Amino acid sequence: MSTEQHYDPITGGEARSQFGAQLSDIKRRLVEMGSLVTENLRRAGVAMAEGNLDLIPLIHETDGLIDARYLELEREIFETLARQQPVAKDLRFLVSATRIIYEQERSGDLVVNCANMLQREGGFPEIPTLQGILNQAVDAAARVFAMSVDALADMDKEAGTTIDRADDEVDNLISRYYTEIGREAEAMGLETAIALTRVGRFLERIADHSVNIGENVTYIVTAEMPMPEHHHVTPSDEP
Amino acid sequence: MVTEADRMGNEPREGSRETKHSPPLRPSLGPAAGATSAGSVMFEVDALNVYYGDFHAVYDITLDVREREITAFIGPSGCGKSTMLRCFNRMNDLIETARVEGQLTYHGTDLYAPNVDPVEVRRRIGMVFQKPNPFPKSIYDNIAFGPKITGFKGNMDELVEDALTRAALWEEVKDKLQESAFALSGGQQQRLCIARAIATSPDVLLMDEPCSALDPIATLRIEELMQELKEDYTIIIVTHNMQQAARVSERTAFFNVRLNERGQRTGHLVEYSETGRLFTNPTEQATEDYITGRFG
Repeated sequence: MSTEQHYDPITGGEARSQFGAQLSDIKRRLVEMGSLVTENLRRAGVAMAEGNLDLIPLIHETDGLIDARYLELEREIFETLARQQPVAKDLRFLVSATRIIYEQERSGDLVVNCANMLQREGGFPEIPTLQGILNQAVDAAARVFAMSVDALADMDKEAGTTIDRADDEVDNLISRYYTEIGREAEAMGLETAIALTRVGRFLERIADHSVNIGENVTYIVTAEMPMPEHHHVTPSDEP
Repeated sequence: MVTEADRMGNEPREGSRETKHSPPLRPSLGPAAGATSAGSVMFEVDALNVYYGDFHAVYDITLDVREREITAFIGPSGCGKSTMLRCFNRMNDLIETARVEGQLTYHGTDLYAPNVDPVEVRRRIGMVFQKPNPFPKSIYDNIAFGPKITGFKGNMDELVEDALTRAALWEEVKDKLQESAFALSGGQQQRLCIARAIATSPDVLLMDEPCSALDPIATLRIEELMQELKEDYTIIIVTHNMQQAARVSERTAFFNVRLNERGQRTGHLVEYSETGRLFTNPTEQATEDYITGRFG
């Protein structure tokens, strides 16, 4: 029995349903990987807000899952590229997917970096204004990262611009947070001030990676890579 | 620079064999290969329609083909791409019921003008077919046949070697030129057919699915050869293999089928653009659907 289908523009029909299913599966797993990063970031936020060091092993464990998914997805994307020789939107999707998993994996590492800072300090100083603004910054970064996950799920062509705009809020909060650290630096000591500053930088970078994911989604849909005014091309996540 | 004399087409090409035997063309078929620059327009197709009796096979095609480039025609079966290809050297004339309307010019000359000799058109614009179809003769005679019947009086050995060398076959056959062409492999036979087409000094090669009967390695060798040939020749290739079009061509035309008002499946041109663009960011949804294999 032949199941081979020929292209017939009049009667229609799907010639590559299996390939279509493979692409859907990769997309679903990108969304899952992004959700794991969002979830882990919120968990790190709780740990930092409550000084709950018990959450740190779980943060590490979750990042291990994210890394494993990264490797799995990378292998699968490369294999699909090699075996299916995709073109047009399929090609843009798969090439962008290799970039997106990189952005997600790096974001995951930055969450771990936040947790490591908390671990090293054995909890952050209980200064209500500072804590308040750090909580807001974590919330904003998690919201922006979640936007990148939604953008993937919905293949939202506006994602490049909307996430970039949302990122401005994170940048503003981080900048107020730095001012607050400066005000309290002497009281908390230099080492703690540096640790808190680095957490700010990590959160800022997570939001930047979200913007990059949004831009890749826009590229998949429109074939145009948006270049907003402050395009985040800096490869370094460290201050 | 194109001079008036070039445009008249009677300027002999340097070292050209055709000057010894070709009668002057009436009217001119334009400058020979090399007289104009690569990438300039060679064929202009304007509102071309092809009918087989009552059947409207190809609907209203307008496109340009550029000199010393490879232009690929892709599309599903019945989309008119092979019919369109045959218009470029008036092969459809050989089908009694076929009728071509609209205009097709070659270096500015209407190929279908009443005073244009279709035999001369086919000498200038050669064809390579889907299945290698060497004559039941020796390798040597397959090449020498065309020049002989068009009255070539020069050094035939040199001509045979030159054609076989250009078709990347010389090294493989130089010691067995008198053996039957059928002793060659499929890929070699196809290169022999390309050498045979080259032997009459054309400046265009039309290729109708030239690799569909060949294995992947022989296919890649033909594709390599096409890259060498486009230095001297303009090539139009019809292929079912989209990857082949993506690999070899500068420009790709996507043809599709639709039902006309009389319920006939008519071929039409959907999109024609630079190959890189067509395969990464096609303009038309129908093109995207076809090249990605998802539609309906």
